[in-house]
Amino acid sequence: MQNPLCSLTACPFGAEECPICAEVQRLQGECERLRELSHTDALTGLFNRRYLMAALDQERERTRRTGLPTSLIMVDLDHFKRVNDSYGHQAGDEALKWASQVWRKNLRRIDILCRYGGEEFAVILPGTRLTAAVRAAKRLQNSLEKSPVTLLGRNVLLTASFGVDTYLHTEELTVRAFIKRTDRYLLEAKIKGRNQVCCRKPEKARQTMEVTIDERAALYGGSTLPEQGAAPKK
Amino acid sequence: MAEISRHKSLKPVMACLSSGKGGVGKTSLTVNLAFALAQKGLRVLVVDGDLGLANVDVLLGLQVKTTIQDVLDRDADPLEVVVYLEPRLGVLPASSGVPDLANLGPEDHQQLGSILQPIAQHFDFILVDTAAGIGASVLWFNTFVDYNILVLTPDPTAMTDAYALIKVLSRDYHRKTFHLLLNQVKSEQEARQVYEHLARVASHFLNLNLEYLGSVPQDASVSKGVRHQKPFIKVAPQSKAALAIFSQAERLRGWAAQKLPRKTVGEAGG
Repeated sequence: MQNPLCSLTACPFGAEECPICAEVQRLQGECERLRELSHTDALTGLFNRRYLMAALDQERERTRRTGLPTSLIMVDLDHFKRVNDSYGHQAGDEALKWASQVWRKNLRRIDILCRYGGEEFAVILPGTRLTAAVRAAKRLQNSLEKSPVTLLGRNVLLTASFGVDTYLHTEELTVRAFIKRTDRYLLEAKIKGRNQVCCRKPEKARQTMEVTIDERAALYGGSTLPEQGAAPKK
Repeated sequence: MAEISRHKSLKPVMACLSSGKGGVGKTSLTVNLAFALAQKGLRVLVVDGDLGLANVDVLLGLQVKTTIQDVLDRDADPLEVVVYLEPRLGVLPASSGVPDLANLGPEDHQQLGSILQPIAQHFDFILVDTAAGIGASVLWFNTFVDYNILVLTPDPTAMTDAYALIKVLSRDYHRKTFHLLLNQVKSEQEARQVYEHLARVASHFLNLNLEYLGSVPQDASVSKGVRHQKPFIKVAPQSKAALAIFSQAERLRGWAAQKLPRKTVGEAGG
């Protein structure tokens, strides 16, 4: 049964200035504010890491039940230490806020953009296949590249690296393992020179497999196969 | 009709007819095989597995009021939804033009499985006519049943699509045995050639042995049956196509005689 105090908007006894009612309402507002704070990153206003873990777990469950894939983009601002070293930490904070705003505008309402920690971000894309998630990551990459931030009166160009992976309903995977797997593609993007998108190999994320060129050739292209009993090609 | 529900079959055989490519005569063969099996004394249920674009009812000229969708959405009694064409032959119809049903998720499939399982017990043989393609429901039905029958015509696209389905089912869903049913062939020799070629490719690339179920020749009585919305084995029981169906039904009856232990719903993939 719902606590009647939770929906208290006026004094149940009709008093116009009821101190108890006022206090309950104040506490209600405080609860709401704390709830917001508990899943918000104070600097950027994005969701925080705690919320990311809970939301990813929920989307994973949705994928398991509906079969619709969940994609994840892990993002890291390139050479962020240089921004801090050259312009100071306050400017660094400005840069983080700027990137958050740019990306927020380039995502759908259902996408969940979070600050993972430091200069690292994560985006959950519910019900999204790998190819669409890669397109979204490239959109984030381009939008940041084309939007220089003004730091101490100078235009500074920010870039970021992106790792993209997709969770399929056929997979047994924890939230942590999914993040770790996606992080590997982010690392790959860093190693390959930054400011780029790396993702899981599309054939691994595809639920069905295509008939290969060799198989097609054997089926109706007239190519000859070795006699039965020869070692099968896996 | 009450006669059917009184006797429960402990281990009904479930088989799925799929093709990869559409338009190879899957529904027509399913329906005719079902009539032939019923004629041989088995209690048969045809499940229209093309959940979003059903056509078993069209092929048979049935007036369908309730479908599998009513069972899924409104908890309608599945046994009430079954339409009986003959005392020993029932059809579980699906809906047409319902995109939702063509895109069921794993949980919906689990529910579908729990619906089919109790109905199946009232029959000896369940034949599922799946949709074309390699969509989630096609794959699910193929993992739910005991026997996978692949219907194909001798043209290269039908062969490639059948091969693609076999590939997915064997590698991703660990199905190992596939029975090939060749339709619209000019001769038994042509059917054998197509089968042997496909079997060679499957053995080489997938390390699989394909079984040959049989062939149904090109026959004018088939299209006549479709036009009259009647199974061709009834319209022209002495036609070449009908005789082929009776012979394959005999093989299917052999499967029923073996009475394989049934899987439980929980074991079905998807």
